[in-house]
Amino acid sequence: MREIQYNQAINEAYFEEMASDESVFIIGEGVQTSTFGTMTGLVDAYGPDRVIDTPISETAIAGAALGASMLGFRPIADLMFADFMFIAADEVLLESAQWHLLHGGKTSLPLVFVANMGGYRMLGNGHSQCPYSPMLHSPGLKVVTPSTPYDAKGLLKTAIRDNNPVFYLFHKGLLGLKGDVPEGDYAIPFGEAKIRREGSDVTVLAISLMNHMALEAAEDLKNEFSVEVIDPRTLEPFDLETVITSLKKTGRLVIVDEDTERCGFAGELTAQIVEHAFFELDAPIKRVCAKNYPIPANIIERHVLPQKEEIIAAIREICV
Amino acid sequence: MEFTKKDLLKLYRNIVLAQAYDQFCIRMAMQGKLLSFYHSSAGGEAPGVGGTTFLRPDDIIYRHLRGHGVPHMIGKGASVREYLAEHCGKTTGCSKGLGGIHPSYPELGIFGTGATLGSQFPLSVGWGLGAKKKNKGQVVVIFTGDGTMGRGTWHEAANIAALWKLPVVYVCENNRIAQYVEFKDAYPFENMSRLPAAFGIPYEEVDGQDVIAVAKAVTSAVEKARKGEGPAFIECQTARFGPHGVGNPNKVGGKPRSEEEVAELKKRDAIEICRNRLLKDKVLTQKEVKRIDAEAAAEIADAEKFIDASPIQDDPAQLAPALYAP
Repeated sequence: MREIQYNQAINEAYFEEMASDESVFIIGEGVQTSTFGTMTGLVDAYGPDRVIDTPISETAIAGAALGASMLGFRPIADLMFADFMFIAADEVLLESAQWHLLHGGKTSLPLVFVANMGGYRMLGNGHSQCPYSPMLHSPGLKVVTPSTPYDAKGLLKTAIRDNNPVFYLFHKGLLGLKGDVPEGDYAIPFGEAKIRREGSDVTVLAISLMNHMALEAAEDLKNEFSVEVIDPRTLEPFDLETVITSLKKTGRLVIVDEDTERCGFAGELTAQIVEHAFFELDAPIKRVCAKNYPIPANIIERHVLPQKEEIIAAIREICV
Repeated sequence: MEFTKKDLLKLYRNIVLAQAYDQFCIRMAMQGKLLSFYHSSAGGEAPGVGGTTFLRPDDIIYRHLRGHGVPHMIGKGASVREYLAEHCGKTTGCSKGLGGIHPSYPELGIFGTGATLGSQFPLSVGWGLGAKKKNKGQVVVIFTGDGTMGRGTWHEAANIAALWKLPVVYVCENNRIAQYVEFKDAYPFENMSRLPAAFGIPYEEVDGQDVIAVAKAVTSAVEKARKGEGPAFIECQTARFGPHGVGNPNKVGGKPRSEEEVAELKKRDAIEICRNRLLKDKVLTQKEVKRIDAEAAAEIADAEKFIDASPIQDDPAQLAPALYAP
């Protein structure tokens, strides 16, 4: 199969969805040029009326997408950095997420927020976060975290076609990652986790970039333990069944989540496993997350963000 | 107000330094020493230097993104080498290597920056309110790009600053381009004058390539604010010679910026304009030009030595004590 980069796969999904559905348009700062190469060339193909550059106005960008979605469009609002979501928290978390239910289901909000997330670039607290925890805390918003070029394309297509607000978070550390991506149309359903590596001693669930780190850890440990690595691909909806099925085999779970540990997704999943699959566990669940500090800039960020060695240590700790 | 010869030489020295540091930062960014990203101030040195050189040490500023605020820090008298050590992740940095691009010199009224453009405006209300309550004549000078004026936070802050007559001077460094979006694609007007006008905030437009003109306009607004006359807005028409950040494409709207337009902008280099004017007015001699250049080069060499010799901040034990104040 043809190999392309993660950001090119995202680009291809935009090209195809904009070609097949005239109600799709993009709005954001510098989207005609594209900060991360995900939207390159779209303005030449679809014009500035469908690839709309805006002033630096994240609140209005998010609100514009939300408003237009109510009038039958399928807007894509580019917030550039996921950290900037907080500027539009009202529009994203309180309105987009919650208005369908609040208005008795009469209005659908088929919009997509897109932004890059993640650390390991030494950019400091405001350009490094993975803020899906507040998103998941606002029921009504779907949250997508692709880790491969194949998923990046297929999940973005599903996000654009979904009749609900979706936050599509691509990782800045994966932009140049190459992988197999089919030409033409395919869509990946939400809520279907993917087993990236089969194993029998321990299950490691790892999100986005962390999945690659977990796979490296599993490879490093291959002579000690048989590690199963699961990529949830979407956090809402979340495929709990695949995790529980895996746990029935391994009895051990490590959750690797680049978001801050306290009140994060890893804690939520831990609670769900305790509630729904407690008796499958042979050992305590281990979380490997960003530590409970602001993400500092510079080299010292490595002491806050999850590291492969910590995944290895967590696996060893519960596999003895 | 009239500047003395000493004032004018100080302005010139500061803008020469700003340019020298910018070239140093670009070099360090290319070498991988300067961590994260760097957004050059080339073409836009004058507003930061002119707007800060005559402030009081206890006046409060929020630096602009271009040059990561080095022109503003120079004017304010902050140790640039400590900021750049910070930017390089060194323990000798102004935030002990934890802050990266975000400067912190509270003793000089530089309290840090946010990653989101526009976060300076709400803060300007707090600083203005605090300064007013303290009643010591402190003034807040907020630097912003034209792009950042797109944020709604400006309107909230400007309204309150005007309503409460806060001592805040807003200095807009208008280079007519926000990352990849041109002014004409961001605003339905030619300059910012209507925005402060809505709140009755006095507005003045200056040639942002003329550091002396900027200094005059800002100093005059600052003196009025000091006397309790309330906020002001100065728009400096300036330029961005290069791309948004080191390594970024120099594009707007998906297309390369017009080479003719950039060449035209480069004809109005703020350092050259200041130098020629001061030479013509016999404030500066060729000998002094050379001396000031040499001093700037020596300061850069000294900064580089300091940064290179400083240890990397990589100590996790620094995190816990830094989280909460005692």
